[in-house]
Amino acid sequence: MKSLALENLSKTYFDPYRGTQLTAIKDVSLNVKEGDFVAVVGPSGCGKSTILNMIAGFVPVTSGRILVDGREVKGPGPDRGVVFQSHALFPWKTVAENVTFGPKMRGVGKQERAKIAEEYLALAGLSHAADQYPAELSGGMQQRVGVVRALANNPDVLLMDEPFASVDAQTRMTLQEELTRIWEERRPTVVFITHDVSEAVFLANRVVVLSKGLVLEKVEIPLARPRSWERLVEDDKFKALSNQVLQLVRSA
Amino acid sequence: MTALYTIWGCYVRWSQRWPALAAFVPFIPLIAAWWFIAWLQIFPPVFLPGPVEVVQTGWDLTYKGILSEYLADSLARLAVGAAAGMAIAIPLGVFIGLNRKAHEFSWPILLFFQAIGDIAWLPILLVWFGFGLTTMTFVIVYTVLFPVVLNTVLGIRSVKPELGRAAQSLGASPARILFEVTLPGALPNIITGLRNGLGYGWRALIAAEIIVGTSGIGFLMFDARRAGSVEEIVVGMIVLGVLWYIVDSWFLAPIERATGQRWGLVTS
Repeated sequence: MKSLALENLSKTYFDPYRGTQLTAIKDVSLNVKEGDFVAVVGPSGCGKSTILNMIAGFVPVTSGRILVDGREVKGPGPDRGVVFQSHALFPWKTVAENVTFGPKMRGVGKQERAKIAEEYLALAGLSHAADQYPAELSGGMQQRVGVVRALANNPDVLLMDEPFASVDAQTRMTLQEELTRIWEERRPTVVFITHDVSEAVFLANRVVVLSKGLVLEKVEIPLARPRSWERLVEDDKFKALSNQVLQLVRSA
Repeated sequence: MTALYTIWGCYVRWSQRWPALAAFVPFIPLIAAWWFIAWLQIFPPVFLPGPVEVVQTGWDLTYKGILSEYLADSLARLAVGAAAGMAIAIPLGVFIGLNRKAHEFSWPILLFFQAIGDIAWLPILLVWFGFGLTTMTFVIVYTVLFPVVLNTVLGIRSVKPELGRAAQSLGASPARILFEVTLPGALPNIITGLRNGLGYGWRALIAAEIIVGTSGIGFLMFDARRAGSVEEIVVGMIVLGVLWYIVDSWFLAPIERATGQRWGLVTS
């Protein structure tokens, strides 16, 4: 896992219906250290998903640079693992085949892939579902597979685009706790996009509040780890930080 | 009452073991009605033979070897034509589906030629190729081609963009994305296209055999008209229906179950 730097990033789209340029991102700079967990929050339309899509290489930047471990990003690549809101699992591949898709593309052999599948499915508590198809799993399980599929490819940076937004509230809390556990164990570099303030504060070391294509504020989250909802839900420091971020988002 | 339950239980057990049996049951009232109307002799028996006579004729034709020979001829023509049609249609559909420019350019042409029904080509084909295999093969290829191309294009274009993005950020090359993501994603639509294409192709073949044929089920039916044997015509019609049921439920439906339905892309 390596560091990530965004230098004076901007993005404008051409709107063919209005015939005008639309500015999604004005000027965003951000440094994510190796092994850091940064959450980006903001009201809808603030450009947070655009930032993630640019880091992932899915959409080109208008100006500025994105550096992963010092190398400039040009298009999508396996150095940046992506977890999608819609999980984006391959429906025609079993859970194990989905998890080992990245290694397979690198030319990793069958036996080695079986080991990888075993390790990462155990990490997600999904060993029993290895041979099932994604459609046979619940929404929460699908998203777990999505997370370990990205991790199993050993990316430098893990990009997560509102990954828990479409699961029910109970499952979401479980997934958040599992993600912190995995992060605490393995310390990947994570950029996590969300509109859920308490999710951002719960997971991240730092919360970046975005507003109208600009960074409004960066809030450090010095909460002790390991974190769990049981502990944090009544924690005054957690409440105060959540409140602070919430005020920022609402003013944005 | 218990006797009824026993019969019902037997039926359930047997139809589970032989699904074809369950498919035959809906035809029982239909055949009964046919038999009843024929028995009433509202229409003269020469115009409307009863089920018994038709089965008798079918047996005779089978016994003489005519039915099986003609059936084999028809199926071989369909197989050759369909294979050739698929070999052209699937790559073409993939190309058009992946390439926006090719799509813009070819779509109007495809729709134009799709509208010219298979049989509408027969007059000019007879002029070009005469009464022979080439004409029949052309008609089948033509008929199979369009549903397969159009559905393949649709399938390729309906693969969710996130899946391609996911594959890209897992390190897949464009060629790997085509084979691991795009084609499997389009497969349910391709199968739908094949299903339609084969269905249309089968019908087109019968039509072509009626006009062009020297053998085959279509020829059998048309030849029977000349001989005034309504029984043989009805045998031909029944063979067509039964055969399509076999092709669809023994080959196409299992493929569909094993792919699209299993993957949750198509709801059964």
